[in-house]
Amino acid sequence: MMQIASDRPGTNFPFAPARLRRTVLDMAYAGQTVHIGCAFSIIELMAVLYRSHLRFSPTDPRAPDRDLMVLSKGHGVMAQYACMREIGWIDDKAVNGYFADGSLLKGLSDSRVPGLEVTSGSLGHGLSIAVGMALGAQRNDSGQRVFAIVGDGEMNEGPIWEAMLFAAQAKLDNLVVIIDENGFQAMGRTEEIVGLGDIAAKFTTFGFDAVTIDGHDEAAIDVAVTSLLANGTRRPKAIVARTVKGYGVPFMENDNIWHYTRLTDETYQAAIAALKNVQ
Amino acid sequence: MRQAFSDTLVRIADADPRVLLLTGDHGYALFDAFRAAHPDRFINAGIAEQNMVGMAAGLARMGFHPFVYGLSAFVPVRVLEQIKIDIAHDDLPVVLCGDGAGFVYSHLGTSHQSLEDIACIRPVPGMMVLSPADRHELTAAMEHAHGARRSVYLRMGKADRGDVHDGDAAIDTTKLQCLKAGHKGGTAILATGPIATTAMQVAERINGVAVWSVPSIKPFDTETFATICTSSARLVTMEEHVIAGGFGSLVAEEASSTHPLPILRIGVRDRFSEHCGTYDYLLREHGLDLETVAAQVAAFDAA
Repeated sequence: MMQIASDRPGTNFPFAPARLRRTVLDMAYAGQTVHIGCAFSIIELMAVLYRSHLRFSPTDPRAPDRDLMVLSKGHGVMAQYACMREIGWIDDKAVNGYFADGSLLKGLSDSRVPGLEVTSGSLGHGLSIAVGMALGAQRNDSGQRVFAIVGDGEMNEGPIWEAMLFAAQAKLDNLVVIIDENGFQAMGRTEEIVGLGDIAAKFTTFGFDAVTIDGHDEAAIDVAVTSLLANGTRRPKAIVARTVKGYGVPFMENDNIWHYTRLTDETYQAAIAALKNVQ
Repeated sequence: MRQAFSDTLVRIADADPRVLLLTGDHGYALFDAFRAAHPDRFINAGIAEQNMVGMAAGLARMGFHPFVYGLSAFVPVRVLEQIKIDIAHDDLPVVLCGDGAGFVYSHLGTSHQSLEDIACIRPVPGMMVLSPADRHELTAAMEHAHGARRSVYLRMGKADRGDVHDGDAAIDTTKLQCLKAGHKGGTAILATGPIATTAMQVAERINGVAVWSVPSIKPFDTETFATICTSSARLVTMEEHVIAGGFGSLVAEEASSTHPLPILRIGVRDRFSEHCGTYDYLLREHGLDLETVAAQVAAFDAA
């Protein structure tokens, strides 16, 4: 059985959020790309999962017995790249050459990149794949867990609800769905577009064990994952993570322009300075 | 043909414990034998085709070999994006079985009639597209689809049109199948799916017309096709599908680059069914009945 990073002797994978955010900024600046806010809202979630819950092989991102980290909201992929860089699955060249002609790392999650599990960004796909993986792991009796990060805006998509229903029907207690409730989708505030109301209550009604936490509180994330996976029920698990889009750089927080805006020299330097102040 | 589907699926599952069957709550009696033989490998995904196909992708990634069953109006058309992104992008071993293709659900109207599926799935990179004419081609196609361990769309049309093969010889699904030899320099009909039976009836009426069945639309057997083009003056294509983007389009595309010759494409024109009726009625409404087709081919052959 694979070990989690923090239990692995002789290794050091801190997955420090400020460092992960710096990688995101470096990539976004190098690639002149967007979706910075989408990545920043899930940094702590990714950090805690990679640090303390996902069992992976540092030398083989496709180790057959790994736990699966499905980024259904593919727009946040730079957060996952940042974690992959900590492990060594991608190097500085990939970070600094992000979006260069002929490079591998795309602007959305892509299953052909070792370390990423699904091709997403067309929303509403990843959770169904995660459900299939969790079902497959149970049928294989492999003990693998599947974590899926879904955006709150993504929950507009019908297949998400199809997948929720089936996950409960199939008693997929090895599935943890994490909803990044940052309150925004592409065109504005989620509640003003297609409001979701109480997301945890909806998951509970659909047959999940669900909790709502502060999605930037690493201790709370850790406790939620640990306690849900150990709660002994046969129900799939859901963590509604209340987050702030753009979290970590104050001038980006809750400003949906950072779904679309590219970094200039000035904003790049200002963002780096802001990160240091937070630290 | 449905019996052959059931028998073959059970046989494949008997031999390969990784095979799973997923259905979108379709195939009520069709899976009795499978459910009896392998109850734990039958997964009714509910009336939720998009999730079903995504789950099949996840199961394939975990080492399983899912057969996904639905009506061809839904699988592949409704779930085309799931097929493209979740399955075909990594050529995952999933066999998508689209049943009732064409006018099978003649009384149910447009929602269940499937005349666009080939045109939808053909452009998806790497997809294998199989379209058997009878139970013998169906059996061979299913075995080929399973053995290939690739992303496959298996198109299943009207099941009771009879056989075009005698069942004595093994069928290589990847090859064009000569059902009837014709005169050199004459007309060759290429048909895909059960409409090949109509092609055979046409050839009985018109002297010297060759008939070929095409169980594999993609990959297409260009080698045999080249020999047919060389030995024929005219081609006729027949499909229970729209002529835009389907099998006739494929043949025209292939011929145009290497063997340009006159091609009569017989299929559904740019229209939905107007009325309700029996299967044979709908074929008449769309001009795909034997009399209409035979007259068209005879005029083309004589030109």
